[in-house]
Amino acid sequence: MKLNQRLSKMKALMLLIALTPLIALFSCVDNNEKKDYQNTADIPVSREMVAELTAPPHVPTPVGRRKAKKLIVNMEILEEVGEMTDGVKYTFWTFGGSVPGSFIRTRVGDEVEFHLKNHPDNKLPHNIDLHAVTGPGGGATSSFVAPGKEAQFSFKVLNPGLYVYHCATAPVGMHIANGMYGLILVEPEGGLPKVDKEYYIMQGDFYTKGETGERGLQPFDMKKAVAEDADYVVFNGKVGSLTGDNAITAKVGETVRLFVGNGGPNLVSSFHVIGEIFDKVNVEGGDLVNTNVQTTLIPVGGAAMVEFRVDVPGTFIIVDHAIFRAFNKGALGMLKVEGEEDLKIYSGMQEEGIYQPEGGGIQDMPAVEGADQAVASAKTLEEKMEYGKATYMQTCFACHQAEGQGIANAFPPLSKSDYLNANVNRAIDIILNGKTGEVVVNGVTYNSVMTRQDLTDEEIANVLTYVYNSWDNSKKEVTPAMVRSRRSAH
Amino acid sequence: MVSFFRLILVFLVIGCSNNILGQSENEMVLVTGGSFIPLYGTDSATVVVRDFKMDIYPVTNNDYLEFVKKYPKWKKSKIIRLFSEESYLVKWEDDVTLGINFLPISPVTNVSWFSAKSYCECQGKRLPTVDEWEYAAMADEKLPDARILPEYNQKILTWYEAPKTFENPIGSTFKNYWGIYDLHGLVWEWTLDFNSVLISGESRKDVDKDTNLFCGSAAVGASDLMNYAAFMRYALRGSIKANYTGRNLGFRCVKDVEVLE
Amino acid sequence: MKALIKILVIALVITSCKNNKNTNIASDISPKEAVSNEILELSIFNLPSTWTTQDNVDIELKSLKGDILVMVMIYTTCKAACPRLVSDMRNIEAQIPKNNKGKVKLILVSIDPETDTPTRLKAFAKENNMESEQWLFLRSSIEMTREFAAVLAVNYKKISPMDFSHSNIISVFDTNGVMVHQQEGLGVDNKETVKTILDLAETN
Repeated sequence: MKLNQRLSKMKALMLLIALTPLIALFSCVDNNEKKDYQNTADIPVSREMVAELTAPPHVPTPVGRRKAKKLIVNMEILEEVGEMTDGVKYTFWTFGGSVPGSFIRTRVGDEVEFHLKNHPDNKLPHNIDLHAVTGPGGGATSSFVAPGKEAQFSFKVLNPGLYVYHCATAPVGMHIANGMYGLILVEPEGGLPKVDKEYYIMQGDFYTKGETGERGLQPFDMKKAVAEDADYVVFNGKVGSLTGDNAITAKVGETVRLFVGNGGPNLVSSFHVIGEIFDKVNVEGGDLVNTNVQTTLIPVGGAAMVEFRVDVPGTFIIVDHAIFRAFNKGALGMLKVEGEEDLKIYSGMQEEGIYQPEGGGIQDMPAVEGADQAVASAKTLEEKMEYGKATYMQTCFACHQAEGQGIANAFPPLSKSDYLNANVNRAIDIILNGKTGEVVVNGVTYNSVMTRQDLTDEEIANVLTYVYNSWDNSKKEVTPAMVRSRRSAH
Repeated sequence: MVSFFRLILVFLVIGCSNNILGQSENEMVLVTGGSFIPLYGTDSATVVVRDFKMDIYPVTNNDYLEFVKKYPKWKKSKIIRLFSEESYLVKWEDDVTLGINFLPISPVTNVSWFSAKSYCECQGKRLPTVDEWEYAAMADEKLPDARILPEYNQKILTWYEAPKTFENPIGSTFKNYWGIYDLHGLVWEWTLDFNSVLISGESRKDVDKDTNLFCGSAAVGASDLMNYAAFMRYALRGSIKANYTGRNLGFRCVKDVEVLE
Repeated sequence: MKALIKILVIALVITSCKNNKNTNIASDISPKEAVSNEILELSIFNLPSTWTTQDNVDIELKSLKGDILVMVMIYTTCKAACPRLVSDMRNIEAQIPKNNKGKVKLILVSIDPETDTPTRLKAFAKENNMESEQWLFLRSSIEMTREFAAVLAVNYKKISPMDFSHSNIISVFDTNGVMVHQQEGLGVDNKETVKTILDLAETN
């Protein structure tokens, strides 16, 4: 990664040297228009343009070399019922019909004419506080708008960076908790450096009357919100907005830029992409660039721009590394990278052994029977269930969840699972060998990866027995012998 | 001087009232006055409310239809722009037809403050003050002031979040301690002095009173930081003007007890 | 007897509810002005309220027709914002050239009619050196004041026996009583307000 970068930097430098006379020529021609403005407030605007707004995870076209303009932003506020996760509905309040709200892309010096429209069916007045605005309330006082009304105000963007906007009407916490936030990007003169892919991700925490996963239309829970006890912590407004078919994508060799924001209302984000290192982070969305970052902190009401080149194919999981949020509350996304393997960068597993501090070197795994004898065997179904549950909680729980419900769009359910109940041997095989690619469980297609599980025959027998005898499954009992026969079948 | 104006008011009230008295008179109940602390009160916090009678239900489409038939200047084609913007009764089919989208017994909405005020006056009633409305609305089924109950706020918030409740018929929420229905959960309601809520830009420039409902500053001067439902009502009042109408904004009337007797 | 009362009542209803707002206007306007009826829909002269001046004279708003009106809502016992609003008004008045002064009325409307009696208003005018003809002080009933404020989008609330919090808005109306300009805040740049007034004065 590093080497590549250096190479490309050198190339760029050489190109620059070669082109210098040409550039000089151009700058002569352009001289009248191209001034260096000490004060960005002095940048003149030419022409009018209606801003392109996009719903996440997409972002509008980069500003490139365009001049500062009068930019018209038409933003509609909608209060509407949407899906939080499978079977759980929630009344979201949105800027532009999505959580987070529409992405606004400007360049320094733009004069933004903002039209905030509050749909007549909406129940509440709203406003907008854009952190990119220099002025009282960030526009909040000028944009306070009753249902069925439109408010208009203008501002000039003076400071480049990535900024959060949000509703600031009392009770402000509730407006934000219901999804009223988004990002506005102010690009510097000439635009941000070009990259291959750009995406928009914003984290938010949600508070519902029912517990996490409780079905039905869930109202906002004020008490939990005040206690900062979130039921959902998600990217882009719902569980699974960036997984499965919704995953963001890139090709090997491409540079990806993520515009990451955090609407809160309460929880800061430890933003991390598993298996990637951010080559470059614009810390807090500002000018300060940090390089080679594993996890970057995104404050509530703050943002960051992260960039990295993807060098190997695979699925890279995007998480809030406050990890219970990722596995239990939904803060999980996926970046799917396609392309050629590069074994130099990542080999895949090359060798597997046991580690014994007393003995030297790597040894072969002892025969399975040996392991079997090493632990006490479960005799009764009750014992099998007990042991099986222990294994489940250690090995399976993180993905398939405590009640076997799985995680929407990422990990299939084990409860009442048609796929599981249809074929015991297949289930054993999957634990033994892992499983990659599409499976259809209870009518839903999942496409992710389960690695092979390093468990003994008895452990596998117990855990499967536990699974089959829980959550309305078919109550099969799996024996170590069954596992052994599948193991030897391969 | 004050009593002179009161006299005028009484005169006006009597002048209009007997006309449609029959139906609406039966639909009011007494709210016994008292003192309470509203979300945004006075400097001394406590507000005294006198006895008054309040409509059991919000004014319905049908009630309002009768009203515009009787007083044509409030028909949607006749109302002057000073008294309402274009969205007045916008979804009605015409001046005297509701159209298929409206239940006759749903609350009337898309009416301006002026029209709501006139409706009440022509019934010998008036719009409630913010304090009166808040006083009557802090009751649940059993208690005149249920704000101390932890569930109370949550229940109301849940109603406020539910979409399209303006389509529901009157009486579809609960009957409160006073015998009044639908104060929460159907529509917002106009109040006589809705414009006593100071929350727009100008107030923060007022050197004395830096009260503002935006962001954190809404918390300044509020009596109960957990009363989110009240925050939402006050924010709405602060966002509207007298000629505005809203799809979720209706009204009901009240009456002074002393005038009655 | 009952029937007679009923008739009387109905008659009263009709006068008080049906006729007293816009129909009065219709009967008052001359044929020439009837042409601009559309604009008049937005005129504050539609308001039925009666007001008492600092000279204890009762007037209706429509009697102000023909003048350019600059209005502000204050109360005389106010210690904080009102003195500044009054000085803003005085500042605006000072910028109106002599030959146009006769076309403009500067009006201070009390939001505290209980305290601000005509006598009190008169004394206030004197204290503030606002005794010349173009200054007008008005008070009405609590209800009418609330309605008038609603038209001007002025919000106010009594927060103690002596004090109100209120919006600081100066409004300009044309000779037909239609609002054409508002300035919000204290001591703000009044360039536009003055320009609006002068433009109106030119065309009238």
